[in-house]
Amino acid sequence: MNSNWRREVEAVFRKEWQTEMRSQSGLVTGLLFSVVTVYAISFASLNASMTSTVVSGMLWVALLFSTSASLPRTFLAEEELGTADLLRLTGRPHAIFWGKSLFNCFQSVITGTILSTLYLGFTGKAIAVPWLFAVSLVAGCLSLAGAVTLCGAIASQASNRAVLSAAIAVPLLLPLVSLGVSAVRVSLGLHVKHEDVGTLADGIGAAIGLVGYAGATLATGPWIFAAVWKS
Amino acid sequence: MLRVDRLGKKYGGRWIFRGLSFELGQGDRLVILGRNGSGKSTLLRTIAGLTAKTEGTVSLPDGDPRWTLGLCALEQSVYGQLTISEHLQLTADLRGCPPRTDELLEKVNLGYARSMPASQLSTGMKARLKLAMAIQSNPLALLLDEPGAGLDEEGRNLVDLITSEQADRGCLIVATNDPLERRLANLELQLA
Repeated sequence: MNSNWRREVEAVFRKEWQTEMRSQSGLVTGLLFSVVTVYAISFASLNASMTSTVVSGMLWVALLFSTSASLPRTFLAEEELGTADLLRLTGRPHAIFWGKSLFNCFQSVITGTILSTLYLGFTGKAIAVPWLFAVSLVAGCLSLAGAVTLCGAIASQASNRAVLSAAIAVPLLLPLVSLGVSAVRVSLGLHVKHEDVGTLADGIGAAIGLVGYAGATLATGPWIFAAVWKS
Repeated sequence: MLRVDRLGKKYGGRWIFRGLSFELGQGDRLVILGRNGSGKSTLLRTIAGLTAKTEGTVSLPDGDPRWTLGLCALEQSVYGQLTISEHLQLTADLRGCPPRTDELLEKVNLGYARSMPASQLSTGMKARLKLAMAIQSNPLALLLDEPGAGLDEEGRNLVDLITSEQADRGCLIVATNDPLERRLANLELQLA
């Protein structure tokens, strides 16, 4: 017998990929939420000029909804479908969390990229600092994936899963959304007349905060998950 | 090899079982009998560590339980979108053991269906797949919950073969309602 972390994480990632590509439930749910949100915001703001602060806030609301709708399912579905026992018997909790988190990160970045492209296209908002926008979006999607996966993992062990997942998500996601809005706002509105979005240093600071948040969530998540997985 | 000492499980205010003690060595085959709701499945899940015990201790064979323990249970589900061979590859990768796909599929007679998604399998075929996954790592302790349920005569012969092979390798616990499955055992435990 040969225990190998990489082989275990890859196995979980591959399992998530295969089930998602064949059912397409998470990706479709996320994209559907994205399109509906973008359409609703664009329709509501037709012919209206939106500030960078409002655009970045709305973008994060859309990202949050599309991510929260699909990603926590990875753990909740295992419990509801009765497949969690198979993983408990054969897998180690750290490998299971990492495999699922990596797949959620991948799915979150794909959804976030499509969503923000659609959104900025519909609203016609130009990006003032593209690299800051890209870093904020990727780090924000990774943070969202890490936080939402952790919420789903913890809540999956409870009897009232849906309510608990939402209750845990609020304190975890609030600082993340604040950082994300700050970084995207600067990347969109820096040097734009009549808009006070803060300085480039403010935006970089918020982006670094997002990277740190993503790292902290993905690094500590396996240990928190391991504590609840077999209890 | 496998020792259970004063094991107890309480749901709400009711003890499902309490004060259970036994020890199994190589070649021991224990059948747990009892009416519906007597706690047979809960006892197997508790021994496997899937359900938290209220009191007592369970000592599993030495080594990583992913390798030394196999469980096949009626309530266990498989992934509807994954094929039979993908299931065996997944559990092998997670355990860190060889998948033995061809050998196992030949043993449980599912070779012809290796590329079928689990959602298209009959109850009996799923039971065979779960048996294959349970014995994949040649576990020292094998726990079977209602192993004959959903199986035809050929399937029940397969269970006989697997249990006799397990007795050569280690120990076996079978939880069942079916008095005919007493044939699998050389020890009996009746839950009230």
